[in-house]
Amino acid sequence: MSGERASAGDRTTAPTGERAAPPPNPPEEPAVCGHCGDRFADDRLLALHRGRAHREALTDAEIEAYREARTEERDDVRLFRVKALGLLLLIYFGFIYVYAFVL
Amino acid sequence: MTRRRRLAVAAVGLLAAAVAPVAAHGAGLSGAADRSLSVPTWLFLTTGGGVIGASFLLASFVTDRSFIRRVHGWRRGGLRPARAARWLGRAVGLGGLAAVLVAGLVGPREATRNAAVLTVWVGWWSGYTMTTYLVGNSWPAVDPWRTLAAPLPSLDVDYPDRLDAWPSVAALLGLVWLEVVSPVADRPRFLVGVVTAYGVVTLAGAVVFGADVWFRRVDPVARLFRYFGRMAPLHYDDGVRLRLPGVGLDEPRLVTSRAEVAFIVAVLWVTTFDGLVATPLWRDAAVAVVGAGVPPGLLYPAALVAGYAAVCGVYALAVRYSKRAARTYLPADVLARRFAPPLLAIAAGYHLAHFLGYFLELAPALATAAVAPLSPPEPVALVLPGWFGGIELAGVLLGHLLAIWVAHAAAYDVFPGKLQAVRSQYGITVAMVCYTMASLWIVSQPYAVPPYVT
Ligand SMILES: [Zn+2]
Repeated sequence: MSGERASAGDRTTAPTGERAAPPPNPPEEPAVCGHCGDRFADDRLLALHRGRAHREALTDAEIEAYREARTEERDDVRLFRVKALGLLLLIYFGFIYVYAFVL
Repeated sequence: MTRRRRLAVAAVGLLAAAVAPVAAHGAGLSGAADRSLSVPTWLFLTTGGGVIGASFLLASFVTDRSFIRRVHGWRRGGLRPARAARWLGRAVGLGGLAAVLVAGLVGPREATRNAAVLTVWVGWWSGYTMTTYLVGNSWPAVDPWRTLAAPLPSLDVDYPDRLDAWPSVAALLGLVWLEVVSPVADRPRFLVGVVTAYGVVTLAGAVVFGADVWFRRVDPVARLFRYFGRMAPLHYDDGVRLRLPGVGLDEPRLVTSRAEVAFIVAVLWVTTFDGLVATPLWRDAAVAVVGAGVPPGLLYPAALVAGYAAVCGVYALAVRYSKRAARTYLPADVLARRFAPPLLAIAAGYHLAHFLGYFLELAPALATAAVAPLSPPEPVALVLPGWFGGIELAGVLLGHLLAIWVAHAAAYDVFPGKLQAVRSQYGITVAMVCYTMASLWIVSQPYAVPPYVT
């Protein structure tokens, strides 16, 4: 089964059972993929995983969960970009300031 | 001082180039650098680290999975090399080996005029190695030992699987130890001995385990060039194909075991060790340690192994932090395998910084010695212009930038969540920032002859 997925060009998921080592900060109950048995820290990661790795086999509810997870992720990515941009500017002007001060 | 300043100007220029798309104030920054009389070391190092951190942030803006896939999947060509090319490669390899053996034995004794020393160190270890990561890995066709091993019979003894790539890790560390402490770069006769010994071991191994197994699993040089070739634009996939530099490092099955991860970390460490032992700091430390009663013969292997263990430890820590930050159920080993190949780009950048100037300076000497190996004229050394230090520094930084990008792409491939993928790179990026600063520090140091070596 895992071989099939790999040969189908999907490089997203590790073979079954590979996602079995809990992180040092595990959730109380891992979200388990019903299609391949991989485990995830929360339902959103599971929904994203299902949407990418088992696109053809999804139920309507799972498709809906995938859509929702992607929308939420888009918002988070937007927020992250604002923070990253701020940090970049901080680094950039920080260096300008330090160079102006030192030289 | 002037060299350091040159490097700092280049670093600032790169930082400006990296950040300019976001905030178009590059002119102000480079103007500030032009006024500089001397940039203090701490600022020079911090700037390098800042470039890496900034490029990680820039890479994290690329969140479009299909874009990353397109960039990494781009291929052109499919040219089948003519049979003649293979024969040409073999002829070059065998001819080079014969020239090294003959010129090493009967050529002049001065290293800078001896064709054997120049061929091995300038032609092969500097110049040829650069082609493996800048152009493509042609070593399987060129390797003279492979050519010689091919017609030999084989006992086909089963290679013990638990040995995995560990012999090549040990051999790589051993070769670098030899390179640092022995006169292998100075005494042609000694070099011939080392080359011959390497060949005897290689041919014996090929006979015992089969040439294919030996060169795939044990031979450290074949493994090194194979790994470097993964980042090169040209590669062989049912014909010679073109891809973008570095994207080959993102293949999921490039590294499949802990031993192979260890080999990649060893590649990274030995390129650094090579430079580290030529710094004044090492000189002072070595003199102090030997003064305290440590035998000099123990100094280099101990430092080589201890430093290697330390770099392995830092990588393991970074991976463990990556697992925690991504909250993934993937074992740390899987992450370690996946995020190791980008380190090869750093090693290659460091090799370039270390050897490009050396190669260009001595290339004329190599050419004249190759024309008349037995009685070469006085060597002519090329004098490199002052801005050349900037190119060396760019090698270090470009290697890191490529590594950041490839690791970013690999994380997107591994993790279902986009921010999860970005978070997974925090620890590894911090490790890279520290490593860049250490590398830049070594590059900026004046050369000091390593003590207690012959
Ligand atoms: Zn699944």
